[in-house]
Amino acid sequence: MKLLYKYSRINLVASVIIFLLASVAFYFLLHFIFIKQLDDDLHVELNEVATYISRNNALPEIIPSEDEITSYQFSSVYSQKQYLRTLEMGDGDEKENYRQLQFCVSVNGKNYNVFISKSLENTDHIIRSVILVSAITILLLLIAYFIINRIVLRRLWKPFYSTMALMKKYRIGHGGLPEFEQTDTNEFTELNATLVTTMKDAESEYRNLKEVTENASHEMQTPVAVIRSKMDVLIQDENLSENQSKIVQEAYTAIQRLTRLNQALLLLSKIENKQFAATETVALDKILEEKLVSFKEILNNKQLNIAAEIKPVNVQMNAALADILFNNLLGNCIRHSNAGGEIKVILADKAIEFVNGPAEKMLEPKKIFTRFYKGGSNTDQHGLGLAIVKEICLVSGFSIEYKFQNKMHSFIVVL
Amino acid sequence: MKILIVEDEPGLSSSITAYLHNEQFICEIAATYAAAVEKIELYEYACIILDITLPGGNGIDLLKNLKANNKSDGVLIISAKNSLDDKLAGLKAGADDYLSKPFHLPELAARVAAIIRRRSFAGKKTIAIGDLEVDVDEKWVKFNEHIIDLTRKEYDLFIYFLSNKNRVINKGAIAEHLWGDDMDLSDNYDMIYAHIKNLRKKIQNVGGPDYIKSVYGMGYKFTV
Repeated sequence: MKLLYKYSRINLVASVIIFLLASVAFYFLLHFIFIKQLDDDLHVELNEVATYISRNNALPEIIPSEDEITSYQFSSVYSQKQYLRTLEMGDGDEKENYRQLQFCVSVNGKNYNVFISKSLENTDHIIRSVILVSAITILLLLIAYFIINRIVLRRLWKPFYSTMALMKKYRIGHGGLPEFEQTDTNEFTELNATLVTTMKDAESEYRNLKEVTENASHEMQTPVAVIRSKMDVLIQDENLSENQSKIVQEAYTAIQRLTRLNQALLLLSKIENKQFAATETVALDKILEEKLVSFKEILNNKQLNIAAEIKPVNVQMNAALADILFNNLLGNCIRHSNAGGEIKVILADKAIEFVNGPAEKMLEPKKIFTRFYKGGSNTDQHGLGLAIVKEICLVSGFSIEYKFQNKMHSFIVVL
Repeated sequence: MKILIVEDEPGLSSSITAYLHNEQFICEIAATYAAAVEKIELYEYACIILDITLPGGNGIDLLKNLKANNKSDGVLIISAKNSLDDKLAGLKAGADDYLSKPFHLPELAARVAAIIRRRSFAGKKTIAIGDLEVDVDEKWVKFNEHIIDLTRKEYDLFIYFLSNKNRVINKGAIAEHLWGDDMDLSDNYDMIYAHIKNLRKKIQNVGGPDYIKSVYGMGYKFTV
């Protein structure tokens, strides 16, 4: 959930609760005030009645009024007590709430209970209107508050989002560090500064690591060359027994693997270190056709059926890398096809596709282009071929994907 | 014929010497730039096997020096760098060929032989070995005046064997020679076997002996 929404949600819930509580409190407060007011009015009436009686020695005449009802009732006893009550009066459907004051008067030795009732209708109206007005006002305030919050928050967080966008594009070892937007918010300045420091450290570690790989591969070349040459000399010995020859052959195979592994690592380092930066217009169709010719014998030997759809395609890239790209992709297809399998090569304007199979199961698309990934049990392979392909695609501005459809592996280079 | 090996790694130069040394070649070693300059000035070599990175200097400079002095020695560059730039720089400076480390000695021998052939047999058209006769320009092979009809791969293989005659060649080295080293053929040795079988048969078909012997499944030896 977005920070903005999270913050707004908390805010909204709190505001609504406060708003509801305030409304209830407000209602009761208003109600209390109005009742108090009515009660005061009723007492004024009481005084008026008392004054009238003392002056005229008679009960005042009842003047019918809309919101005030006065009635007298004969009473046998006189009571000093006054009663205030809220009650419903009227007939049938037109019952209304009234506030009633009951007191006792004595006129000419006769006791009467006087009931003065004032309608609560207007009071209720007023309370309702006041509540409504304040509710609308508060609601409008809330809405305004949220809109402002959103705009302000979005503006405040803008440097954060811009940093995020730059970090998403950032790839270690490819291109320089991102240039972060200048901001006067301390938190973001600090965040950006921390990121820059971390990235700088990571870049230098990465460079060191790459140098180690390249240097190690370089340094290994000579001893490997010496071992190989010694073995080439060793097998000239006519006294080698069959058993010894077998051992030597196994050593040959191992040293061959080591050589390939080393060369592949060196090649990877070189591509990463931009030692193949020079580009030219490369006719991919020509390279592919040459490759198909040079691989023909191996294809035949493995009884692989190959179908090729080749369109003339020119791209801007390093020629040596183009050669390695096709070599690895085609070699990969051949290596991982069983005898009698199918290989299909399609070169179109925007994509190169290598399909081979049939195969039992899909390879792991996430791991297939990583170094030393070995899909099958074939331990003879160093597992760097596709990593090299991926790296070539990366430096050439292509992308590569793997698909598994109809029991066929498919590698697509999008140009 | 004399061959100069300019290489600072004693393990490698001694192997090259041991492999190339025979009744035809005499190998000398120079382990530093200075030693190489001295030897080149004093003697003439049929071929110089030149490492690029040397103590005290760069192989390319040595090569330029050689060309500036109008020396006609053939030059084969061997470099661990395996970089295209090095290769181009070497060939541009006048090297005859380039071989990147690590290499198989039979491959080195084949390259050296090719350089020497190109340089010393300029006038002579064909090479004769025993009853065999080869024209490297027109690419034909004869046994006792009978043309042996070879495919391109078989011809390549034949020349390779000829440059390494009487030596055991590992099958891995043959595979690399025939198909290049970016093709991993560790599981395709049967392809080599097929070519060798055909070559053998074609020589025998014109009455030739079986020159090629298998050595314990490890490699082959062409004996003349």
